[in-house]
Amino acid sequence: MAPALVLVLGVLAYPVGWEVWVSLTDFSTRLDGPPSFVGLANYLALGREPEFWHALTVTVAYFVLTTGLKLAIGTAMAVALAGPFRGRALVFLAVFLPWAYPGSVTVIAWFWMLNPPLLTSYAVAMGGVKHAFDGLFGTGAWAFLSVALFNVWRGASFTAVFLLAGLNALPTELFDYARLETRNAWQRFLAVTLPLLRPYLALAVFLSFTTAFADLANVWMLTGGRIVFPVLGTQAYWLGIRNGQFAEAAARSLSLVPLLVLALVVLFRWFDPPRERAA
Amino acid sequence: MAQGTLMALIAAYSLFPIYFITVQSLKTPQEDVFGSPLWVTDPSFENYTELFEGAKARPRGFVILPRVPFLDWLANSALVLAGSLAVTLAAAVLAAYALGRLQPPGWRWWRRALFATYVVPHTILFVPLYQVIIRLGLDDSHGALVLIYSTMALPFCVWILSAYYQHLPREIEEAALIEGASPATAFVRIVLPMSRNVLIAAALFTVGTVGNDFMLASIFLLDPTKQTVAAGLGVMDVSLEELVTVAGVNLAAIPVAAACAVFARGYVRGLTAAMVEGA
Repeated sequence: MAPALVLVLGVLAYPVGWEVWVSLTDFSTRLDGPPSFVGLANYLALGREPEFWHALTVTVAYFVLTTGLKLAIGTAMAVALAGPFRGRALVFLAVFLPWAYPGSVTVIAWFWMLNPPLLTSYAVAMGGVKHAFDGLFGTGAWAFLSVALFNVWRGASFTAVFLLAGLNALPTELFDYARLETRNAWQRFLAVTLPLLRPYLALAVFLSFTTAFADLANVWMLTGGRIVFPVLGTQAYWLGIRNGQFAEAAARSLSLVPLLVLALVVLFRWFDPPRERAA
Repeated sequence: MAQGTLMALIAAYSLFPIYFITVQSLKTPQEDVFGSPLWVTDPSFENYTELFEGAKARPRGFVILPRVPFLDWLANSALVLAGSLAVTLAAAVLAAYALGRLQPPGWRWWRRALFATYVVPHTILFVPLYQVIIRLGLDDSHGALVLIYSTMALPFCVWILSAYYQHLPREIEEAALIEGASPATAFVRIVLPMSRNVLIAAALFTVGTVGNDFMLASIFLLDPTKQTVAAGLGVMDVSLEELVTVAGVNLAAIPVAAACAVFARGYVRGLTAAMVEGA
Protein backbone atom coordinates (compact mmCIF):
# COMPACT_ATOMS: atom_id res chain seq x y z
CA MET A 1 0.00 0.00 0.00
CA ALA A 2 2.48 2.54 1.19
CA PRO A 3 4.88 2.39 -1.78
CA ALA A 4 2.15 2.99 -4.32
CA LEU A 5 0.66 5.85 -2.37
CA VAL A 6 4.04 7.46 -1.85
CA LEU A 7 4.82 7.07 -5.52
CA VAL A 8 1.58 8.40 -6.93
CA LEU A 9 0.67 11.01 -4.37
CA GLY A 10 4.29 12.00 -3.73
CA VAL A 11 5.03 12.59 -7.39
CA LEU A 12 1.74 14.30 -8.07
CA ALA A 13 1.01 16.20 -4.86
CA TYR A 14 3.54 18.95 -5.30
CA PRO A 15 2.79 19.61 -8.99
CA VAL A 16 -0.94 19.72 -8.38
CA GLY A 17 -0.47 21.98 -5.39
CA TRP A 18 1.79 24.23 -7.44
CA GLU A 19 -0.72 24.43 -10.24
CA VAL A 20 -3.59 25.30 -7.91
CA TRP A 21 -1.52 27.92 -6.12
CA VAL A 22 -0.23 29.46 -9.33
CA SER A 23 -3.76 29.69 -10.68
CA LEU A 24 -4.53 31.99 -7.74
CA THR A 25 -1.62 34.35 -8.42
CA ASP A 26 -0.52 36.56 -11.27
CA PHE A 27 2.63 34.53 -11.91
CA SER A 28 4.02 35.25 -15.35
CA THR A 29 7.49 35.46 -16.82
CA ARG A 30 6.45 38.77 -18.31
CA LEU A 31 6.17 40.50 -14.94
CA ASP A 32 9.01 41.52 -12.67
CA GLY A 33 9.13 40.69 -9.02
CA PRO A 34 7.60 37.83 -7.10
CA PRO A 35 4.06 36.79 -8.01
CA SER A 36 1.33 38.23 -5.85
CA PHE A 37 -1.83 36.57 -4.70
CA VAL A 38 -4.87 37.59 -6.72
CA GLY A 39 -7.48 35.15 -5.46
CA LEU A 40 -9.99 33.96 -8.01
CA ALA A 41 -9.31 36.81 -10.45
CA ASN A 42 -7.90 34.46 -13.09
CA TYR A 43 -11.01 32.31 -13.01
CA LEU A 44 -13.31 35.32 -13.14
CA ALA A 45 -11.37 36.66 -16.11
CA LEU A 46 -11.89 33.32 -17.87
CA GLY A 47 -15.63 33.63 -17.55
CA ARG A 48 -15.59 36.94 -19.43
CA GLU A 49 -13.52 35.61 -22.28
CA PRO A 50 -15.37 34.32 -25.35
CA GLU A 51 -12.35 32.26 -26.43
CA PHE A 52 -12.54 30.32 -23.21
CA TRP A 53 -16.17 29.41 -23.74
CA HIS A 54 -15.45 28.40 -27.30
CA ALA A 55 -12.58 26.20 -26.16
CA LEU A 56 -14.71 24.71 -23.43
CA THR A 57 -17.44 23.87 -25.91
CA VAL A 58 -14.98 22.26 -28.29
CA THR A 59 -13.41 20.28 -25.46
CA VAL A 60 -16.71 18.98 -24.20
CA ALA A 61 -17.84 18.20 -27.75
CA TYR A 62 -14.60 16.31 -28.30
CA PHE A 63 -15.10 14.29 -25.11
CA VAL A 64 -18.71 13.48 -25.84
CA LEU A 65 -18.12 12.62 -29.49
CA THR A 66 -15.05 10.43 -28.97
CA THR A 67 -16.42 8.69 -25.90
CA GLY A 68 -19.75 7.99 -27.54
CA LEU A 69 -18.13 6.57 -30.65
CA LYS A 70 -15.64 4.54 -28.63
CA LEU A 71 -18.41 3.00 -26.58
CA ALA A 72 -20.59 2.28 -29.60
CA ILE A 73 -17.82 0.74 -31.69
CA GLY A 74 -16.23 -0.97 -28.72
CA THR A 75 -19.46 -2.55 -27.56
CA ALA A 76 -20.32 -3.66 -31.07
CA MET A 77 -16.94 -5.31 -31.52
CA ALA A 78 -17.07 -6.93 -28.09
CA VAL A 79 -20.51 -8.40 -28.71
CA ALA A 80 -19.48 -9.55 -32.18
CA LEU A 81 -16.48 -11.30 -30.69
CA ALA A 82 -18.32 -12.84 -27.75
CA GLY A 83 -19.68 -15.89 -29.58
CA PRO A 84 -17.52 -18.68 -30.93
CA PHE A 85 -16.80 -18.80 -34.67
CA ARG A 86 -14.01 -19.80 -37.01
CA GLY A 87 -11.06 -17.45 -37.04
CA ARG A 88 -12.16 -15.73 -33.84
CA ALA A 89 -8.61 -15.65 -32.51
CA LEU A 90 -7.41 -13.79 -35.58
CA VAL A 91 -10.18 -11.21 -35.52
CA PHE A 92 -9.57 -10.75 -31.82
CA LEU A 93 -5.91 -10.02 -32.47
CA ALA A 94 -6.88 -7.52 -35.13
CA VAL A 95 -9.19 -5.77 -32.69
CA PHE A 96 -6.53 -5.79 -30.01
CA LEU A 97 -3.74 -4.37 -32.15
CA PRO A 98 -4.83 -0.72 -32.48
CA TRP A 99 -4.40 -0.37 -28.76
CA ALA A 100 -1.41 -2.66 -28.39
CA TYR A 101 0.52 -1.04 -31.19
CA PRO A 102 2.38 1.86 -29.58
CA GLY A 103 0.40 5.04 -29.96
CA SER A 104 3.42 7.00 -31.08
CA VAL A 105 3.45 4.93 -34.27
CA THR A 106 -0.21 4.86 -35.03
CA VAL A 107 -0.60 8.56 -34.46
CA ILE A 108 1.96 9.04 -37.22
CA ALA A 109 0.01 6.62 -39.35
CA TRP A 110 -3.17 8.65 -38.98
CA PHE A 111 -1.26 11.82 -39.54
CA TRP A 112 0.11 10.44 -42.80
CA MET A 113 -3.30 9.27 -43.90
CA LEU A 114 -5.31 12.39 -43.19
CA ASN A 115 -2.75 15.17 -43.32
CA PRO A 116 -0.11 13.75 -45.63
CA PRO A 117 3.25 15.42 -46.14
CA LEU A 118 3.19 17.52 -49.27
CA LEU A 119 5.46 15.28 -51.29
CA THR A 120 3.32 12.18 -51.26
CA SER A 121 1.31 11.15 -54.27
CA TYR A 122 -2.05 11.49 -52.56
CA ALA A 123 -1.36 14.80 -50.81
CA VAL A 124 -3.34 16.76 -53.38
CA ALA A 125 -6.35 14.49 -53.12
CA MET A 126 -6.38 14.59 -49.34
CA GLY A 127 -5.84 18.34 -49.40
CA GLY A 128 -8.95 18.64 -51.55
CA VAL A 129 -10.96 16.59 -49.09
CA LYS A 130 -9.63 18.70 -46.24
CA HIS A 131 -10.62 21.96 -47.86
CA ALA A 132 -14.05 20.69 -48.80
CA PHE A 133 -14.58 19.51 -45.25
CA ASP A 134 -13.32 22.72 -43.69
CA GLY A 135 -15.52 24.66 -46.10
CA LEU A 136 -18.55 22.74 -44.93
CA PHE A 137 -17.95 22.80 -41.20
CA GLY A 138 -15.60 25.73 -40.67
CA THR A 139 -11.84 26.02 -40.45
CA GLY A 140 -10.20 23.49 -38.20
CA ALA A 141 -12.95 20.93 -38.57
CA TRP A 142 -10.65 18.54 -40.44
CA ALA A 143 -8.00 18.78 -37.72
CA PHE A 144 -10.68 18.11 -35.13
CA LEU A 145 -11.85 15.12 -37.12
CA SER A 146 -8.37 13.64 -37.53
CA VAL A 147 -7.56 13.79 -33.83
CA ALA A 148 -10.98 12.47 -32.90
CA LEU A 149 -10.66 9.61 -35.38
CA PHE A 150 -7.29 8.60 -34.04
CA ASN A 151 -8.53 8.72 -30.49
CA VAL A 152 -11.64 6.71 -31.35
CA TRP A 153 -9.71 4.14 -33.35
CA ARG A 154 -7.27 3.47 -30.56
CA GLY A 155 -9.75 3.85 -27.70
CA ALA A 156 -12.43 1.66 -29.25
CA SER A 157 -9.91 -1.15 -29.39
CA PHE A 158 -9.24 -0.85 -25.68
CA THR A 159 -12.94 -0.57 -24.94
CA ALA A 160 -13.75 -3.62 -27.04
CA VAL A 161 -11.20 -5.82 -25.32
CA PHE A 162 -12.16 -4.47 -21.94
CA LEU A 163 -15.86 -5.11 -22.52
CA LEU A 164 -15.15 -8.52 -23.98
CA ALA A 165 -13.45 -9.39 -20.72
CA GLY A 166 -16.52 -8.05 -18.96
CA LEU A 167 -18.80 -10.21 -21.10
CA ASN A 168 -16.69 -13.24 -20.27
CA ALA A 169 -17.09 -12.48 -16.59
CA LEU A 170 -20.87 -12.68 -16.79
CA PRO A 171 -22.41 -16.08 -16.07
CA THR A 172 -23.54 -17.78 -19.28
CA GLU A 173 -26.74 -19.11 -17.69
CA LEU A 174 -28.05 -15.57 -17.67
CA PHE A 175 -27.80 -15.42 -21.43
CA ASP A 176 -29.37 -18.83 -21.88
CA TYR A 177 -32.27 -17.69 -19.75
CA ALA A 178 -32.49 -14.39 -21.58
CA ARG A 179 -32.72 -16.29 -24.86
CA LEU A 180 -35.97 -17.84 -23.63
CA GLU A 181 -37.40 -14.63 -22.26
CA THR A 182 -36.77 -12.20 -25.09
CA ARG A 183 -38.01 -12.06 -28.62
CA ASN A 184 -34.92 -11.09 -30.60
CA ALA A 185 -31.22 -10.43 -30.29
CA TRP A 186 -31.62 -6.67 -30.21
CA GLN A 187 -34.06 -6.81 -27.31
CA ARG A 188 -31.78 -9.23 -25.51
CA PHE A 189 -28.89 -6.84 -25.95
CA LEU A 190 -30.81 -3.86 -24.61
CA ALA A 191 -32.51 -5.62 -21.71
CA VAL A 192 -29.78 -7.98 -20.54
CA THR A 193 -26.32 -7.39 -21.94
CA LEU A 194 -26.21 -3.63 -21.62
CA PRO A 195 -27.35 -3.38 -17.98
CA LEU A 196 -25.00 -6.15 -16.96
CA LEU A 197 -22.11 -4.41 -18.68
CA ARG A 198 -22.86 -1.11 -17.02
CA PRO A 199 -20.04 -1.14 -14.44
CA TYR A 200 -17.48 -1.88 -17.15
CA LEU A 201 -19.00 0.70 -19.45
CA ALA A 202 -18.68 3.28 -16.70
CA LEU A 203 -15.03 2.44 -16.14
CA ALA A 204 -14.42 2.57 -19.88
CA VAL A 205 -16.03 6.01 -20.09
CA PHE A 206 -13.77 7.34 -17.42
CA LEU A 207 -10.61 5.91 -18.95
CA SER A 208 -11.76 7.33 -22.26
CA PHE A 209 -11.84 10.82 -20.76
CA THR A 210 -8.29 10.55 -19.55
CA THR A 211 -6.84 9.17 -22.77
CA ALA A 212 -8.67 11.82 -24.77
CA PHE A 213 -6.39 14.30 -23.07
CA ALA A 214 -3.21 12.35 -23.58
CA ASP A 215 -3.86 11.79 -27.27
CA LEU A 216 -4.48 15.44 -27.76
CA ALA A 217 -1.13 16.27 -26.26
CA ASN A 218 0.54 13.72 -28.50
CA VAL A 219 -0.98 15.08 -31.65
CA TRP A 220 -0.07 18.56 -30.63
CA MET A 221 3.55 17.67 -30.05
CA LEU A 222 3.87 15.34 -32.98
CA THR A 223 2.72 17.82 -35.53
CA GLY A 224 4.92 20.51 -34.06
CA GLY A 225 1.82 22.49 -33.16
CA ARG A 226 0.59 22.23 -36.73
CA ILE A 227 -2.64 20.51 -35.91
CA VAL A 228 -4.16 22.93 -33.47
CA PHE A 229 -7.66 23.41 -32.50
CA PRO A 230 -8.88 25.43 -29.61
CA VAL A 231 -9.36 23.02 -26.78
CA LEU A 232 -8.54 23.98 -23.24
CA GLY A 233 -5.45 21.82 -23.12
CA THR A 234 -3.69 23.36 -26.11
CA GLN A 235 -4.72 26.87 -25.13
CA ALA A 236 -3.25 26.35 -21.69
CA TYR A 237 -0.08 24.92 -23.16
CA TRP A 238 0.26 27.81 -25.52
CA LEU A 239 -0.24 30.42 -22.80
CA GLY A 240 2.00 28.70 -20.30
CA ILE A 241 4.92 27.45 -22.32
CA ARG A 242 5.04 29.88 -25.21
CA ASN A 243 3.88 33.04 -23.46
CA GLY A 244 4.98 32.37 -19.91
CA GLN A 245 1.57 33.32 -18.54
CA PHE A 246 1.53 30.44 -16.14
CA ALA A 247 -1.22 31.74 -13.91
CA GLU A 248 -3.77 32.05 -16.69
CA ALA A 249 -2.69 28.72 -18.11
CA ALA A 250 -3.09 26.97 -14.78
CA ALA A 251 -6.55 28.41 -14.23
CA ARG A 252 -7.54 27.33 -17.71
CA SER A 253 -6.34 23.80 -17.37
CA LEU A 254 -7.85 23.42 -13.90
CA SER A 255 -11.22 24.68 -15.04
CA LEU A 256 -12.06 21.22 -16.34
CA VAL A 257 -11.32 19.45 -13.07
CA PRO A 258 -14.73 20.09 -11.48
CA LEU A 259 -16.39 18.54 -14.53
CA LEU A 260 -14.16 15.49 -14.39
CA VAL A 261 -14.62 15.07 -10.64
CA LEU A 262 -18.35 15.24 -11.13
CA ALA A 263 -18.13 12.57 -13.82
CA LEU A 264 -15.96 10.45 -11.56
CA VAL A 265 -18.37 10.69 -8.63
CA VAL A 266 -21.25 9.64 -10.84
CA LEU A 267 -19.28 6.82 -12.40
CA PHE A 268 -17.95 5.53 -9.08
CA ARG A 269 -21.53 4.72 -8.13
CA TRP A 270 -21.65 2.35 -11.07
CA PHE A 271 -18.30 0.66 -11.13
CA ASP A 272 -17.49 0.69 -7.44
CA PRO A 273 -20.85 0.19 -5.74
CA PRO A 274 -20.54 0.83 -2.00
CA ARG A 275 -23.12 -1.79 -1.07
CA GLU A 276 -20.78 -4.76 -1.43
CA ARG A 277 -18.70 -3.48 1.46
CA ALA A 278 -18.87 -6.76 3.37
CA ALA A 279 -17.25 -8.69 0.52
CA MET B 1 -21.83 -15.24 -44.43
CA ALA B 2 -23.06 -11.96 -43.00
CA GLN B 3 -21.00 -12.64 -39.93
CA GLY B 4 -17.90 -13.35 -41.99
CA THR B 5 -18.28 -10.04 -43.78
CA LEU B 6 -18.72 -8.24 -40.49
CA MET B 7 -15.60 -9.85 -39.09
CA ALA B 8 -13.61 -8.96 -42.18
CA LEU B 9 -14.82 -5.38 -41.83
CA ILE B 10 -13.80 -5.22 -38.19
CA ALA B 11 -10.38 -6.61 -38.98
CA ALA B 12 -9.87 -4.24 -41.89
CA TYR B 13 -10.95 -1.24 -39.84
CA SER B 14 -8.55 -2.19 -37.06
CA LEU B 15 -5.56 -3.04 -39.18
CA PHE B 16 -5.73 -0.49 -41.95
CA PRO B 17 -3.66 2.31 -40.36
CA ILE B 18 -0.94 -0.11 -39.35
CA TYR B 19 -0.91 -1.62 -42.82
CA PHE B 20 -0.88 1.83 -44.33
CA ILE B 21 2.09 3.10 -42.37
CA THR B 22 4.04 -0.09 -43.00
CA VAL B 23 3.47 0.29 -46.72
CA GLN B 24 4.71 3.87 -46.62
CA SER B 25 7.81 2.88 -44.70
CA LEU B 26 8.81 0.38 -47.40
CA LYS B 27 8.69 2.94 -50.19
CA THR B 28 11.56 4.52 -52.00
CA PRO B 29 11.42 8.32 -52.35
CA GLN B 30 10.38 7.94 -56.01
CA GLU B 31 7.46 5.79 -55.17
CA ASP B 32 6.50 8.01 -52.27
CA VAL B 33 5.98 10.83 -54.70
CA PHE B 34 4.56 9.00 -57.69
CA GLY B 35 3.19 5.70 -56.44
CA SER B 36 -0.14 4.71 -55.01
CA PRO B 37 -0.69 5.33 -51.31
CA LEU B 38 -2.31 1.95 -50.82
CA TRP B 39 0.37 -0.47 -51.92
CA VAL B 40 4.05 -0.66 -52.70
CA THR B 41 5.30 -2.10 -55.97
CA ASP B 42 9.01 -2.07 -55.29
CA PRO B 43 9.52 -2.60 -51.56
CA SER B 44 12.87 -1.56 -50.15
CA PHE B 45 14.28 -1.68 -46.68
CA GLU B 46 16.37 1.41 -47.34
CA ASN B 47 14.57 3.43 -44.69
CA TYR B 48 15.17 0.78 -42.12
CA THR B 49 18.83 0.20 -42.84
CA GLU B 50 19.44 3.92 -42.86
CA LEU B 51 18.43 4.04 -39.22
CA PHE B 52 21.49 2.11 -38.21
CA GLU B 53 23.91 4.19 -40.21
CA GLY B 54 22.99 7.49 -38.65
CA ALA B 55 25.03 7.39 -35.44
CA LYS B 56 27.19 10.23 -36.75
CA ALA B 57 26.15 13.46 -38.37
CA ARG B 58 26.65 13.22 -42.10
CA PRO B 59 25.75 15.19 -45.19
CA ARG B 60 23.28 14.16 -47.84
CA GLY B 61 23.27 16.53 -50.75
CA PHE B 62 23.30 19.98 -49.24
CA VAL B 63 21.78 19.16 -45.87
CA ILE B 64 23.42 17.73 -42.81
CA LEU B 65 21.27 14.92 -41.54
CA PRO B 66 20.64 14.95 -37.82
CA ARG B 67 22.32 12.33 -35.70
CA VAL B 68 20.21 9.27 -35.25
CA PRO B 69 21.79 7.03 -32.64
CA PHE B 70 19.02 4.56 -33.19
CA LEU B 71 20.54 1.66 -31.29
CA ASP B 72 20.96 3.88 -28.23
CA TRP B 73 17.35 4.92 -28.52
CA LEU B 74 16.17 1.34 -28.75
CA ALA B 75 18.18 0.43 -25.67
CA ASN B 76 16.83 3.46 -23.81
CA SER B 77 13.26 2.61 -24.73
CA ALA B 78 13.72 -0.93 -23.52
CA LEU B 79 15.29 0.34 -20.31
CA VAL B 80 12.49 2.79 -19.58
CA LEU B 81 9.86 0.20 -20.40
CA ALA B 82 11.47 -2.43 -18.20
CA GLY B 83 11.93 0.03 -15.37
CA SER B 84 8.34 1.26 -15.56
CA LEU B 85 7.07 -2.30 -15.63
CA ALA B 86 9.13 -3.31 -12.61
CA VAL B 87 8.20 -0.27 -10.52
CA THR B 88 4.53 -0.32 -11.51
CA LEU B 89 4.00 -4.02 -10.96
CA ALA B 90 5.89 -4.16 -7.66
CA ALA B 91 4.08 -1.16 -6.23
CA ALA B 92 0.73 -2.23 -7.67
CA VAL B 93 0.91 -5.75 -6.30
CA LEU B 94 1.82 -4.57 -2.81
CA ALA B 95 -0.83 -1.87 -2.80
CA ALA B 96 -3.49 -4.09 -4.30
CA TYR B 97 -2.85 -6.90 -1.86
CA ALA B 98 -2.98 -4.50 1.06
CA LEU B 99 -6.19 -2.90 -0.20
CA GLY B 100 -8.02 -5.93 -1.51
CA ARG B 101 -7.02 -8.49 1.10
CA LEU B 102 -5.99 -6.80 4.32
CA GLN B 103 -8.61 -4.08 3.84
CA PRO B 104 -7.43 -1.43 6.28
CA PRO B 105 -10.10 1.05 7.40
CA GLY B 106 -11.14 3.30 4.58
CA TRP B 107 -9.42 1.13 1.96
CA ARG B 108 -12.17 1.75 -0.53
CA TRP B 109 -11.52 5.47 -0.27
CA TRP B 110 -7.79 5.04 -0.66
CA ARG B 111 -8.40 3.10 -3.81
CA ARG B 112 -10.78 5.76 -5.09
CA ALA B 113 -8.30 8.49 -4.23
CA LEU B 114 -5.64 6.68 -6.20
CA PHE B 115 -7.98 6.36 -9.13
CA ALA B 116 -9.04 9.98 -8.88
CA THR B 117 -5.52 11.09 -9.76
CA TYR B 118 -6.60 10.45 -13.35
CA VAL B 119 -8.62 13.65 -13.31
CA VAL B 120 -5.50 15.77 -13.00
CA PRO B 121 -4.95 17.36 -16.39
CA HIS B 122 -1.44 16.68 -17.57
CA THR B 123 -1.28 19.65 -19.89
CA ILE B 124 0.91 22.05 -18.01
CA LEU B 125 1.54 19.76 -15.09
CA PHE B 126 4.97 19.01 -16.42
CA VAL B 127 6.23 22.43 -15.39
CA PRO B 128 5.97 21.70 -11.66
CA LEU B 129 6.72 18.07 -12.38
CA TYR B 130 10.04 19.20 -13.75
CA GLN B 131 10.77 20.95 -10.47
CA VAL B 132 10.13 17.69 -8.64
CA ILE B 133 12.37 15.80 -11.01
CA ILE B 134 15.20 18.29 -10.57
CA ARG B 135 14.79 18.17 -6.81
CA LEU B 136 15.07 14.41 -6.96
CA GLY B 137 18.20 14.73 -9.07
CA LEU B 138 16.59 12.81 -11.93
CA ASP B 139 16.96 15.59 -14.46
CA ASP B 140 17.68 14.25 -17.95
CA SER B 141 17.68 10.68 -16.74
CA HIS B 142 15.52 7.67 -17.44
CA GLY B 143 14.50 7.54 -13.79
CA ALA B 144 12.28 10.55 -14.35
CA LEU B 145 10.28 8.78 -17.05
CA VAL B 146 10.09 5.56 -15.07
CA LEU B 147 8.67 7.49 -12.15
CA ILE B 148 6.11 9.39 -14.18
CA TYR B 149 4.96 6.48 -16.30
CA SER B 150 4.51 4.44 -13.17
CA THR B 151 2.25 7.02 -11.61
CA MET B 152 0.21 7.05 -14.80
CA ALA B 153 -0.24 3.30 -15.02
CA LEU B 154 -0.53 2.50 -11.31
CA PRO B 155 -4.11 3.47 -10.51
CA PHE B 156 -5.61 1.16 -13.12
CA CYS B 157 -3.26 -1.70 -12.19
CA VAL B 158 -4.04 -1.32 -8.50
CA TRP B 159 -7.70 -1.27 -9.35
CA ILE B 160 -7.82 -4.55 -11.24
CA LEU B 161 -5.37 -6.36 -8.96
CA SER B 162 -7.16 -5.32 -5.78
CA ALA B 163 -10.51 -6.32 -7.28
CA TYR B 164 -9.01 -9.74 -7.93
CA TYR B 165 -7.50 -10.14 -4.45
CA GLN B 166 -10.69 -8.92 -2.89
CA HIS B 167 -12.63 -11.84 -4.36
CA LEU B 168 -9.99 -14.51 -3.98
CA PRO B 169 -11.19 -16.97 -1.32
CA ARG B 170 -9.29 -16.55 1.91
CA GLU B 171 -9.17 -20.33 2.37
CA ILE B 172 -6.37 -20.49 -0.17
CA GLU B 173 -3.92 -18.66 2.03
CA GLU B 174 -5.27 -20.25 5.18
CA ALA B 175 -4.56 -23.67 3.74
CA ALA B 176 -1.00 -22.61 2.99
CA LEU B 177 -0.57 -21.24 6.50
CA ILE B 178 -1.79 -24.51 8.01
CA GLU B 179 0.78 -26.33 5.90
CA GLY B 180 3.41 -24.28 7.69
CA ALA B 181 4.12 -21.51 5.21
CA SER B 182 4.79 -18.00 6.46
CA PRO B 183 2.41 -15.29 5.19
CA ALA B 184 5.12 -13.99 2.86
CA THR B 185 5.76 -17.44 1.41
CA ALA B 186 2.07 -18.05 0.99
CA PHE B 187 1.82 -14.83 -0.94
CA VAL B 188 4.83 -15.37 -3.18
CA ARG B 189 4.33 -19.08 -3.85
CA ILE B 190 0.54 -19.33 -3.97
CA VAL B 191 -1.23 -16.02 -4.47
CA LEU B 192 1.17 -14.44 -6.92
CA PRO B 193 1.20 -17.38 -9.35
CA MET B 194 -2.59 -17.54 -9.16
CA SER B 195 -2.88 -13.93 -10.19
CA ARG B 196 -0.58 -14.43 -13.17
CA ASN B 197 -3.17 -13.44 -15.74
CA VAL B 198 -4.17 -10.35 -13.84
CA LEU B 199 -0.50 -9.43 -13.65
CA ILE B 200 -0.26 -9.85 -17.42
CA ALA B 201 -3.23 -7.54 -17.81
CA ALA B 202 -1.62 -4.95 -15.56
CA ALA B 203 1.69 -5.28 -17.39
CA LEU B 204 0.11 -4.85 -20.81
CA PHE B 205 -1.76 -1.81 -19.61
CA THR B 206 1.55 -0.36 -18.49
CA VAL B 207 3.10 -1.13 -21.85
CA GLY B 208 0.20 0.57 -23.56
CA THR B 209 0.59 3.65 -21.39
CA VAL B 210 4.32 3.89 -21.95
CA GLY B 211 4.01 3.18 -25.66
CA ASN B 212 1.43 5.90 -26.12
CA ASP B 213 3.42 8.63 -24.49
CA PHE B 214 5.35 10.91 -26.61
CA MET B 215 5.13 14.29 -24.97
CA LEU B 216 6.68 13.48 -21.62
CA ALA B 217 9.55 11.59 -23.18
CA SER B 218 10.50 14.48 -25.39
CA ILE B 219 10.23 16.94 -22.52
CA PHE B 220 12.25 15.13 -19.92
CA LEU B 221 15.02 13.65 -22.02
CA LEU B 222 17.19 16.26 -23.65
CA ASP B 223 20.47 14.51 -24.28
CA PRO B 224 20.13 12.90 -27.74
CA THR B 225 21.95 9.76 -26.66
CA LYS B 226 19.58 9.28 -23.75
CA GLN B 227 16.31 9.67 -25.61
CA THR B 228 13.80 6.95 -26.27
CA VAL B 229 12.76 6.10 -29.79
CA ALA B 230 9.56 8.13 -29.68
CA ALA B 231 11.25 11.19 -28.22
CA GLY B 232 14.31 10.99 -30.40
CA LEU B 233 12.54 10.68 -33.69
CA GLY B 234 9.83 13.13 -32.77
CA VAL B 235 12.10 15.92 -31.63
CA MET B 236 13.24 16.41 -35.19
CA ASP B 237 9.71 17.47 -35.89
CA VAL B 238 10.35 18.44 -39.48
CA SER B 239 11.71 15.04 -40.29
CA LEU B 240 8.49 13.58 -38.99
CA GLU B 241 7.58 13.77 -42.61
CA GLU B 242 10.48 11.62 -43.63
CA LEU B 243 10.04 7.98 -44.30
CA VAL B 244 13.00 7.16 -42.08
CA THR B 245 11.09 8.34 -39.04
CA VAL B 246 8.15 6.22 -39.93
CA ALA B 247 10.39 3.24 -40.41
CA GLY B 248 12.08 3.90 -37.09
CA VAL B 249 9.04 3.99 -34.90
CA ASN B 250 7.55 1.08 -36.76
CA LEU B 251 10.65 -1.01 -36.18
CA ALA B 252 10.58 -0.22 -32.48
CA ALA B 253 6.90 -1.04 -32.32
CA ILE B 254 7.12 -4.50 -33.82
CA PRO B 255 8.56 -6.27 -30.76
CA VAL B 256 6.07 -4.51 -28.52
CA ALA B 257 3.15 -5.47 -30.71
CA ALA B 258 4.43 -9.04 -30.94
CA ALA B 259 4.67 -9.31 -27.17
CA CYS B 260 1.16 -7.95 -26.85
CA ALA B 261 -0.10 -10.49 -29.35
CA VAL B 262 1.51 -13.32 -27.40
CA PHE B 263 -0.05 -12.20 -24.14
CA ALA B 264 -3.38 -11.04 -25.58
CA ARG B 265 -5.24 -14.09 -24.30
CA GLY B 266 -3.80 -13.69 -20.83
CA TYR B 267 -4.79 -10.04 -20.91
CA VAL B 268 -8.45 -10.80 -21.47
CA ARG B 269 -8.40 -13.64 -18.96
CA GLY B 270 -6.77 -11.39 -16.40
CA LEU B 271 -9.30 -8.62 -16.89
CA THR B 272 -12.09 -11.17 -16.69
CA ALA B 273 -10.65 -12.61 -13.50
CA ALA B 274 -10.59 -9.16 -11.99
CA MET B 275 -14.16 -8.47 -13.03
CA VAL B 276 -15.87 -11.64 -11.85
CA GLU B 277 -18.41 -10.73 -9.19
CA GLY B 278 -18.48 -7.06 -10.00
CA ALA B 279 -15.77 -4.65 -10.95
